[in-house]
Formats: sequence, C-alpha cells, structure tokens
Amino acid sequence: MTAELLILAITLVAGLYMAWTIGANDVANAMGTSVGSGALTLTMAIVLAAVFEFSGSVLVGSEVTSTISKGIVETDLFAPTGPLGPDGPLLLGVGMLSALLASAIWLHLATHLGLPVSTTHSIVGSVVGVGLVSFGLHGVQWGAMGQIVASWFISPLMGGVLAFLTFGAIRGLILRHPDPVYATRRYSPYIVGATVSIMTLSFIYKVLQNRFEAPPLVMSVLGALTAGVAAGVIAGALLRATRPGSRDPYQYVERIFALLQIATACYVAFAHGANDVANAVGPVAAVVELYRDGFNGVSSQIGVPFWVLVMGGGGIVIGLATLGYRVIATIGKEITEITPTRGFSAEFGAATTVLIASSLGLPISTTHTLVGGVIGVGFAQGIGALNMAMIRNIVNSWLATVPVSAGVAALLYTLARVLVL
Amino acid sequence: MRSIFGLFAKSPFGPLVQHAERVHDTVVLIRPLMDAFVAGDWERTEEIYRRIEVLEHEADVIKNDIRDHLPKSLFLPVDRGDVLKFLKEQDKIADGAEDLGVLLTMRRTPTPESIKAGVFGLVDAVVRASERWYEVAKELPTLLEASFTGPEVDRILAMVNEVALAERETDDRQAEVTKQLFEHEEEIGAVSVMMWFNIVRVLGSMANAAENTADLLRLMLAKR
Repeated sequence: MTAELLILAITLVAGLYMAWTIGANDVANAMGTSVGSGALTLTMAIVLAAVFEFSGSVLVGSEVTSTISKGIVETDLFAPTGPLGPDGPLLLGVGMLSALLASAIWLHLATHLGLPVSTTHSIVGSVVGVGLVSFGLHGVQWGAMGQIVASWFISPLMGGVLAFLTFGAIRGLILRHPDPVYATRRYSPYIVGATVSIMTLSFIYKVLQNRFEAPPLVMSVLGALTAGVAAGVIAGALLRATRPGSRDPYQYVERIFALLQIATACYVAFAHGANDVANAVGPVAAVVELYRDGFNGVSSQIGVPFWVLVMGGGGIVIGLATLGYRVIATIGKEITEITPTRGFSAEFGAATTVLIASSLGLPISTTHTLVGGVIGVGFAQGIGALNMAMIRNIVNSWLATVPVSAGVAALLYTLARVLVL
Repeated sequence: MRSIFGLFAKSPFGPLVQHAERVHDTVVLIRPLMDAFVAGDWERTEEIYRRIEVLEHEADVIKNDIRDHLPKSLFLPVDRGDVLKFLKEQDKIADGAEDLGVLLTMRRTPTPESIKAGVFGLVDAVVRASERWYEVAKELPTLLEASFTGPEVDRILAMVNEVALAERETDDRQAEVTKQLFEHEEEIGAVSVMMWFNIVRVLGSMANAAENTADLLRLMLAKR
C-alpha cells in the first residue's frame, strides 16, 4: 500500500469515527428538548433525527465542509510551487489527517473527563494548529477565522433573540389572550405557515442552488410562501378536528404545540446535520480531493464530493443508532422543565440561526445556539429556572478547546511529517 | 460542552406547592387540636401537637431544600428575592400552627363556656383562610405554564382577594373573642385570660401569614 492510499484510508476511517461520535453524542442535544417536552417519543425522535440529520448533511452540508477543508488554512501555500515544494500537497493531506485525529482524540478525552467541549470548536482549533505549524501566522486565513470566531459570539445571541421573539409572540397572542384555546386555534395555522415557509425557503434556496441552477430569489420566496399557506390551511383544518378536552386551557395549548414541535425538531436535526457534518468530513473532503489529483496539486475550486457528505451523514446515523439513542433517552429524562411551547420557540430560534450560518459556510456550535435559544425563552418568562453558569461553560469551551485541540493537532502533524518525509 | 441539560435547573415552583401542601396539613390539624384541648383531653392534645410538630419539620425540610436550590446564578421568571420572601411568609403559617400547639400543651387552661363558640368559629375561619390560600398556591405551576400572563393571572388575583376576605373574617372573630374574654375576665381569672389572649393572637397570626403570602404573589404579578 502506498503512503498516499494509506493516508486516504486512515482519513476515511477517522472521518467516519468523527461522524459516529457526532451521531452518538451531539444529536442528543438537538433532539433532547423535544423528547423532554414529550413532543416526541424516543423512537420517533430517533427516526426523525436519522432522516433529517442525513438530509441536512447531504443537501446543505457542503458549504461548511468546504470552509473546514479550504477556508481556514492557507491551502495555496501547500501548492507544489509553494515554499514546501512538490511535497506540499502530501503535507496538506497529512495535516488534515492530523487535525482530524487530534480533534477525535481531544473530544474523546474531554468527554471522558466531563469537560465542556464542542465538536465544532475542536475541529476548527485542530485545523488552525496545522496551519500555524506549517507556516506560522501566515498559515491561517485570519479574515475567515475572524468571521468564524465572531459567529461563535453571534450565534448563541441570535438564537436567543429569535427564540425570545418567538416565545414573546406565543405569549402575547395565545397565553395572554382571554381564551387561550380560541387563540391557539386562531393563530397556530399562521405559526405553522411561517415555520414551513422559512424551512422551505432555506431548502429551495440552498438545496436547489447546490444541486442545480440557482433559482431566482423571487421564485424561491413565492415557492416558500405557497408551501407556507398550504401548510397553514391544512393545519387549520386539522385544528378544527381537535377537542379542548380538559378544563385547563394550557394543556390544550401545549398539546397543539407538541405537534408543532415535531416540525421544529426536524428543523433542528436538519440544521444540525447541515452544519456539523463538516466537523467530520471537512478534512476528509480535503484529503479525497488531494488524492484524486495524485497529491500533485492543490485545487482552488470549491466543491465537496457528494459521496463524502453521504459518508458523513451515514456515519451520524450509525452513531445515532448504536449509542445516540441512549444519550437522547437520558437527556430527554433530565429535561422535564420544558414544555412544547417553550421547546418550539427555542428550537425555532436555534435552527434558523444554525441554518443561516450553514448557508454562509460558518461552522458554529448547534448546542451553544440551542442554549442561547433556551435562555431567550427564559428571558421571556417561559422557564422555571435556568442555570446561568452555563454561559460561563460556553466561554470556557472556547477557551479550553480551541488552543488544546490546536496544540494536539500541531504535535501530531509534526510527528507525522517526520514519518512521511 | 456536549450536553445541554446542565442548563435546566430545578424549578422552585413545584416544590413551593409541596411546601404549601405540608403547611396546610399542619393547619388542618388545629381543629382537632382545639377539640381535644377544649374537651380537656390533654393526652390527645399532646398527641396532635406532636403530629403538627412532625409536619412542620417536614415543611422546614422542603423550605431548606428550595433555598439550597436557588443560588444567585439561577435565572427565574420572577424576582428571586420575591420567591424567597413568599417561601418565608408561607412557612410562618405552619410556625403559627406549631406555636398554637406549644401554647395548648404548656398549661392545662380550662375553656370558659362564654368564649367556646367564638373560639371554634375563629379556628374554623383560620382553616378556611388557609384553604383559600392553599388553592392559590396550587396554581403556581399553571401560572408558570401561562408564563405569568393572561386569564390565569386574573383568576389568581381573584383568588388572592378571596384570601383577603377570609383573613378579614378571622380579624372580626378575633376581636369578638377577645372582647368576650375581657367581659368575663373576673370569672375566668388573670392567668387564663392571658393564655387565651395569646391563643387567639396566634390564631390570628396564621390567617395574617396566609394573607401576606397571597399578597406577595400579587406583588410578584404586579411587577410583570
């Protein structure tokens, strides 16, 4: 077996392992709020997570994946004409593999030690480490890195603000209404319509743009609105068939929102797949492309092989099926303080934010964004008690994970470089 | 951080209802306590007092547990200080029941015929006030579900008014019994008058605490 093939093989295995660990650990956060609120049973959560994580990965995963593979390290410097000479492309492959392994090792260790870590921060840190070892400060695209770091601040905030506004609307329109049952019947078709419109818009716009010709924006918007109106009308018809049953109107409100939360749960899973698959297959995409060119050049074109995304999405689903379901069950049992109206709002805010970031190619943490969403609902007086020390945890996770994973990647890369050359 | 569930802290609203339940359990016992006392059944008085003591202690345990789970880093939909004040005031109702037990087991005070009816009327009014307040306390989880707004708030404010009405009734009865007590002060005797004066005062304080607890909830809602 040649060194090139060996690098490819190890990269594929490591990428699959990373995808597996994302499915095993991280999907639980995306689905936990839905299971905890009782909107989804465990089985339903797993089936929906599998379908939507996979489709998110495959359909929208390419933007963030190409950011990880080419948007952080100055890949041009690895060209055969660059300072490293003809070995450049091979070294880039080794570097990407080192980053992937470093990230996997650090995540494994940190999870074992119970440290607050994020898959996203870990892989970004590792890739930065490789860039720094190769060319010092010149090895990293700081402009892009600045955007990524900024998005780590902005995404929990934006998730929080959107969730705050969503729950604020539910509170103002339904909970404050003299007859919450009537208000639920009156307004939830619009809420369904708005949710479906936004989901469809992102879907048409990103997915069709990636796979085919970009449709004109007007067409996308019209298509999204049509889908939204249709969904709203159907929801209205279905709502008329429901009975308020008990004397407590809020039980009825929550029952209806438990149904709506099924949609946002899919939305979160889709957005999570779209953003987080890159953490596993970003380096894989880079190595696959280098291998295809026989490690003779560094392609500047942005494109991620479709099958790499399929592999990432598949890995996530396998992780979900082998271990993830247990983590979802545990988290679902722990999170009982959240009801469907709250879960809906938090998930809607978070998923919208994550999907926007995915479209912009920004790797962000879905978990942190969801934490922002839940806190947003808390600020709108929706949740009994929130542990604000978690905000410190988020910052700690940046401070700890990025330098450590960068260091581990740098170390691995330095060792591997000696072995290869 | 790979897990989100550290974000969700234990909500104090469920345990506040548990505390209310235990407190009301002590209040319900003051009628049999007074029955035994008036009948001169000292053994039974002592026995019921012991039961009140146990329940009051259980309420204290819940109270301390709520306090332990309310660190400053928690974000609550209402002011944290208001929750703690509410808890403290609610606990005073059970403290009153226990104080009553102490008074009734302290000295074998005979019950003058002239105040008997008035005393039972007062005891029942106190239990009613506590019941009205307990109805309010049981609404706390629904209030959270309603996100402290809308028709649920109106409903609770109406119930808080009921507590105030019940408290006013105990005030009237308390004044009446005290008056009867002094009208017959010669035949009752100074020490017994002092004992009964205190018993009546403690009974009144229980209804006051119930009203204050309900008022604190009103205040919490008014801040919204």
